[in-house]
Order: sequence, then C-alpha cells, then structure tokens
Amino acid sequence: MSFIAVFIWSYVLWLVLTAGSRGLLWSSQELVAGVIFSAIIAFATRDVIGEKASRFLNPVKWAGFIAYTPVLFWGMVKANLDVAYRVITGRIKPGIVRVPVDLENDAQYTILSNSITLTPGTLTVDACPEEKALYVHWINVTDKEPKSSEVIAGSFEKWARRLGR
Amino acid sequence: MKSDMGLIVKTTARATIPLIGIFGAYVVSHGHLTPGGGFQGGATIAGAGILFLIAFGFGEMRKRYDHHIYSALEGLGGLVFLGMAMLGLGVAFFYNTLWHSGPFFDGQPGTLLSAGYLPIMNLAVGLKVFAGLISAMVAIAAYRRWKE
Repeated sequence: MSFIAVFIWSYVLWLVLTAGSRGLLWSSQELVAGVIFSAIIAFATRDVIGEKASRFLNPVKWAGFIAYTPVLFWGMVKANLDVAYRVITGRIKPGIVRVPVDLENDAQYTILSNSITLTPGTLTVDACPEEKALYVHWINVTDKEPKSSEVIAGSFEKWARRLGR
Repeated sequence: MKSDMGLIVKTTARATIPLIGIFGAYVVSHGHLTPGGGFQGGATIAGAGILFLIAFGFGEMRKRYDHHIYSALEGLGGLVFLGMAMLGLGVAFFYNTLWHSGPFFDGQPGTLLSAGYLPIMNLAVGLKVFAGLISAMVAIAAYRRWKE
C-alpha cells in the first residue's frame, strides 16, 4: 500500500511539473515517462514514507486540507499584523513555554508544529510525543503554563487532530 | 549511532524525499529541453539520499545501503554513456546516429523523445552522479574514528 501512496504522491508532482506539454494538457510521452520514473522512485522509497501513509489517499482528507488553507492563511495574516505592532511599539515579553497537546501520531504533531511556526510570534522549538507536549518560543508570554494549545494556536490543534488521523 | 533529529524533521523528510527524487528525475529526463541535465539532476537526487542520511541517521542508512549495488550502478552509468557514444562509430565517435537515422529518439524537437542519444546520456550521467555522491557521503559518514 505504501508503494501506491508514494507512486501517486510523486506522479502528481510529475504532472504539475510537465503540465503544458500538449496545449495546456500533457503529451502521452510525458505521461508514460512519468509512470516509469514514479514507479522507480516509489520502489526506492516505499519503506521511507511510512506504512500508514496511504491514509492520505482518502479524498475526504484532501477536502479537509483545502478547507484548512484559508484558516491557516487568516491566522498568518492576523499574527503578522500583531508582530508588526510589536516591532513598532517594542512591547515584547519573550519566553519558552511548555504546551500540553492531545495528539496521537507523527503527522498530527508535524501539522500542528508547522502551523504554530508559520504563525509569527510563536516558534516550535521541540515536539515531545512521549510527554505529549510541544515547547514553543513565544514573543509575548501571557500565560506561563498554558493548560491547552488554545491560547497559542487557536483552533489549529483541532484541525491537526482531524487532518492527521 | 542514533539519529539526533526530532519527530518533525523525520516526518517532513518522509514526505519530501519522494518529491526531491521525482524532481531530480524530471531535471535529468528533460535535460535536452530545459535547464539542468545529468549532473544537476543526479546531484538533486543525491540530495534526497543525503536528507535521508541526516534525518534518520547513519544506522538506518547502513541497513539500506549496499555498496555493491551502488558501485555496479555507477559503473553501469559510465558504460551506457560510452555505449551511446559508440553507436555511430561507423561515421565517427560521438556521431548522433539516433537523431539522424535512428528508430526512436528522433521526434519533433521540443518533445521528450527527441535529440537522439542526449536523453539516454543524461540518464546515464544522472545515475552515475547519484550513485557516486551517495557512496561518497556514506563513506564519509562511516568514517567515525575522530583522532585528536
């Protein structure tokens, strides 16, 4: 199954790279070459991507990722304006806080950590799945020992739990 | 030797290693159409292998790396390049007979199957560069006795 997951994952990138070889679509030579190269890449990396990666082939999950994009983008816009305000006024209070999270697998930790890092003002320093916590460097610490990730990441934890399941 | 990289680096490496590989294959196979070619694409694919080595550590790499296979692949790349160069030996060394009167690789310029022996030579050089760089990096990583 992970062979198929890698194959589709790399074939999609091949199609994006070679789009426009016949009009706006793909010539048959490019399609066949893509199948061959994707099969080679998939065979070589089939045990790298992880055995449960095929759960991301579910179209419901793609819809979830598309729905997550505006949420993440809006969070980035708000946080950038907040950081611009802090640059002008100089009102910062930096520190590293430990944020307890309720996640199960690696993909969920990665999605949440990257979302926290992408929103300026917060930066994930370390993810510790064994103690179910993230260590986050925060530009303006308002809560030294937060009980949940709500105060740092808003609704991102809920999204990460759903997308990475 | 255990890997020092955290969970986020490993998970991201799992997702990006196939993408780096297919992008390198794209650069190699379109060497006669777009910028890039055998060396650039081979070095890109070797970058995916080096990312694996750094993210997962030398222990994981040693389980998957067989230096006989990589040595054979590097030799194969050089031999295919030489074989392509000798195809038109009836006229001259490096004569592009596939382009002038070949059964394939003589399509419309701009398509994938054009330019005679060039795509095959790019693939051979890409394979050779990939195998050579990976072998060099693994050999350096395996050299672990650090004497003051």
